[in-house]
Amino acid sequence: MERRTFMKLAGAAALSFEAARPTIAQGKATVRWWYHYDNPQNTPASLVAKFEAENPDIKIQAEPIPWGGGTDYINRIFSALVAGNQPDCAMVRLSYLSRFGQMKALEPLDAFLGSWKGRGDIAEDVWKINRAPDGKQYYMPLHYVVIYLYYRPDLLQQAGLQPPKSFEDFLTAAKALTKDGVYGYGMRGGAGCHDNWGPFVLGGGASFDKGGMVTEKALAANRWFVDLAVKHKVVPPSAPTDAFRQIVDAFKAGRTGMAIHHIGSAAEMVGALGDKVSAVPVPRGPDGGGWTYFGDESNAIFTGSKNKEATFRWISFLSSAENNVEQAKLSGQLPITISGAKNWTVHPKRFVEASDASLPIARPLPDNVKTPDFVGRVLPTNLQRALTGGMNPDDLMRAVEQTFHG
Amino acid sequence: MNNATASGAMLRAATPYGFLLPALLVTALVILFPVLQTAWYSLHEYVLYDPGNFRFIGLRNFATAFSDEVFWIALLNSAIWVSGIVLLQLLLGLGAALLLNQSFWWRGMARALVIIPWALPSVIIGLMWTWIYDFNLGVLNDILLRIGLISAPHPWLAQPSTALACIMLALVWQGFPFFTVTILAGLQTVPHELYEAAEIDGASPWRQFLHVTLPSIAGIVATAVLLRIIWVANSLDVILVMTGGGPGYATHTLPLYAFLRAYTGMEFGYAASLSLMLTAILLGIVWLYVRRQAGELER
Repeated sequence: MERRTFMKLAGAAALSFEAARPTIAQGKATVRWWYHYDNPQNTPASLVAKFEAENPDIKIQAEPIPWGGGTDYINRIFSALVAGNQPDCAMVRLSYLSRFGQMKALEPLDAFLGSWKGRGDIAEDVWKINRAPDGKQYYMPLHYVVIYLYYRPDLLQQAGLQPPKSFEDFLTAAKALTKDGVYGYGMRGGAGCHDNWGPFVLGGGASFDKGGMVTEKALAANRWFVDLAVKHKVVPPSAPTDAFRQIVDAFKAGRTGMAIHHIGSAAEMVGALGDKVSAVPVPRGPDGGGWTYFGDESNAIFTGSKNKEATFRWISFLSSAENNVEQAKLSGQLPITISGAKNWTVHPKRFVEASDASLPIARPLPDNVKTPDFVGRVLPTNLQRALTGGMNPDDLMRAVEQTFHG
Repeated sequence: MNNATASGAMLRAATPYGFLLPALLVTALVILFPVLQTAWYSLHEYVLYDPGNFRFIGLRNFATAFSDEVFWIALLNSAIWVSGIVLLQLLLGLGAALLLNQSFWWRGMARALVIIPWALPSVIIGLMWTWIYDFNLGVLNDILLRIGLISAPHPWLAQPSTALACIMLALVWQGFPFFTVTILAGLQTVPHELYEAAEIDGASPWRQFLHVTLPSIAGIVATAVLLRIIWVANSLDVILVMTGGGPGYATHTLPLYAFLRAYTGMEFGYAASLSLMLTAILLGIVWLYVRRQAGELER
């Protein structure tokens, strides 16, 4: 072949390729989705492949975003929103809703939901919890967890104790288990400490309502919680900065006898301890009241999305029957669909039961613009100061009160 | 003819600026513009999730900072952080450079190995040292327990009395190779005759170090110290990974505090004022550095 002929053919081939490409691109909508899984090795590739096979006109660009105790994830979403580089949709939590609302960042889903067949497979209570104060539905429920108490049945049995049901039982058990280098309770004082502080302080009588953090009952509950470390010394000295990894590893290594987390860590716990780990709802306060964290997870569509219809198809796909089960397996959480929950066998039964039994006292964090700051900065810094003796526990409660109510 | 000469002269005079223009434009875009934007934000109430409420408040953010307890804690921690780290890195770097300037058979390998901490990403260093200090599984507690220096594990990063020092140690380890390499380069420029002359005059090795080595490398050390002060004062990644600023405010430095207010509280106006104050403090160091560099260029 002559050089000139080759060049002509090559040029024609290149042109035909370039001419063909936009035709495909124009017909295919790309949906960017931000997600996070506790186990970063899990990937939604099979779900994406299934969806793309069913919807050949849509391409899913799934982007994992580091969770970082929740703070990193939410920071990236808000930064992306301000920069105008947000994805089409992302996993979100109820505690972000106010900030999203203030930024007018979310697309109402009501019009889409009206004709979505899977709506009835999600309990009406869940839709109600996820409804915004303006009455609109911005969140598509995805999966959930409930914080409960992990304990060592073998150690409690040796001590002649039952799993704790009240604060008093809990302290008795924690004291009994604290010996020979083992601490009774692996308190979480670092990132994400709200899910350990809440059951004892909110469950003991504090509330996010105006003045609710500084009532005598609330102050006493917080003092009691701080005293677990300062007075009774039933938590590891590293508790002030221990976060998810540290509390889970210490429990797995047999360095602590009780820990507070959710079903997402059950597989790890069972992998290390087998039958020597079980779970019950967090203990109740002196007056029988209780509070535990309802870790909701939904998908939401951002108003900036240029492919809202395609995006809804993707997020509704993830919240539908067997797809939702697959998604829950990847996240290590519980499926949101009624049909998925009925046949759920991924987690050992005792952990699913503990999650179910915790639901009556499970609440999300308040839907307030200050909630992310409370979770990421106000509570950890002040709780750490109280735990290390640098602050009066009552001042911690005043700081929380001031954060929400000025 | 005169016009042609005049325009030629103008062109010649403008040529250097033409060459500089692309660099100046890039600098203006990536440095000057963000600095001016930060200064502008610092005069406003700017909460990221409430962009509709962006309003001018003059110097109120700065006044708030002066009455903010955490600002003063962070400023003090920053002073300890910078002075402690730079001093220890300098001493360790100087010692390592003097050793590596000696003749021994594996000197080449030693020079390559010493650079490893400097080459590692800060996040890796933060995670690595976090696990070294870990209360339950950390190697430091294990070693100290085995040799009998402590009777029970110590929560190094969870105690306000030890947390800052522990992170500083990690950063000293990371940064000392910079001084080693820089000072080693300086040591190799010291003429050998000076040492011979000093030896003939009966100077001890210590005297030789004091009166020959140190004056010869003083310039390079001063430049390295100034650069390092700026870098260390700005660094927050290792602290963020190791403690997130805790326990409490024990490891809060000024840039970290500004970062937390910006990205957790979304208070960009207030965070901008904190950043600007750090910039003002560092400008003094930058001025010294630029003056040194200009002096060296003139020489």
